[in-house]
Amino acid sequence: MLKSSRVFGLVAGLALATPALADMPSYDLELKDGTLTPQTIEVKAGEKFKLNLNNTGNSPVEFESSRLRQEKVLGPGAKSFVVIPALKAGEYEFIDEFHMPDAKGKIVAK
Amino acid sequence: MEQVIFVVWRESIEALLVVGILYSWLKQFGADGTLRYLWFGVAGGVGTALVLAAALLGLAQYLSGTGQDIFMLIMMLAATGLIVHMVMWMREHGRTLHKHFGDQTRKAIENQAFWSISLLVAIAIAREGSETVIFLYGMSYAQQTMQDWASFAGAVLFAMVLAGGTYYLLQASRRWMSWKHFFRFTEIMLLLLAGALLVSSVDKMISLGWLPALVDPVWDTSAILSDSSRFGGVVSALTGYRAYPSLMTLLVWLGYWAVVLGMFKYQNRQTATPAAAAT
Repeated sequence: MLKSSRVFGLVAGLALATPALADMPSYDLELKDGTLTPQTIEVKAGEKFKLNLNNTGNSPVEFESSRLRQEKVLGPGAKSFVVIPALKAGEYEFIDEFHMPDAKGKIVAK
Repeated sequence: MEQVIFVVWRESIEALLVVGILYSWLKQFGADGTLRYLWFGVAGGVGTALVLAAALLGLAQYLSGTGQDIFMLIMMLAATGLIVHMVMWMREHGRTLHKHFGDQTRKAIENQAFWSISLLVAIAIAREGSETVIFLYGMSYAQQTMQDWASFAGAVLFAMVLAGGTYYLLQASRRWMSWKHFFRFTEIMLLLLAGALLVSSVDKMISLGWLPALVDPVWDTSAILSDSSRFGGVVSALTGYRAYPSLMTLLVWLGYWAVVLGMFKYQNRQTATPAAAAT
């Protein structure tokens, strides 16, 4: 059962792997040596969105949120993004794991 | 600098567990020369971690990131399978060492199993190791003065001593535990770790949109133990604990244990029958 659901997941994934990124709302998060800007990101509930990550500091960062199932390592100066599925209204914590315990922020879906 | 110490220790603990446990097992069971498979794996893992880190640093600017996620996912699924295979093999091996197989067949089976030891160790080290390399490489950029460098080097050194201490603790526990208990204890730790890797894989597949979350979350235990805290992070890496599990994650985790326990039962029956027939 485990195996077949995995295979199914992979097959289904190939079909869905190329989402249209262009028409998705996007938000920016700047990570700079443990400072997150903005610390609170307000998004619309029930809407898939793109979060642009920009490491402007001179140390590496790891954007991580187990609640949002995201994990991304960025070297100094690196840029990347994550796509976050539609969220129910509520607060979702994220951290910069390389600058814990202080580097925390949250996404607020309304 | 305290953060450098923590990150290096945390990233190395999983690989240390795998290497440490396999080392004790091989010492106990393995014939001469089997330990070299472990060292192959260690060397391969360190090499892969360096290459991977360089690739991630070099390509991070251009990759959308999905490729990296898929690669990590494949490594986690492979590690899950290999750990379960390893545990099954050790259970079998412990019993049938002196029975059943002729030397020739046994050699063939052993060679195969030993290569999966190399592969498992290599993956365990490469996975977290690449992150450690990126982290340390990047951190070294942030050091400006001689004093910065000295305390940075000191922190890395201290983290290594700490990691070495953790490894030693694992080896030492072999001394105040009977072999049987040590085997049971390490077996449970490895199976929990495999479950944790599977949980992370499922989370990754949900975030890639490959699996539905079903109910998300099923519960919220972040008030008791947040998996975003330092301690919670270690617990979640070693056991698969989630403060906000999705129903899909929960079902796969339960399914994993059902399959593992089922395989143990089947294995017990398999090995019990010929033994009973022989007497």
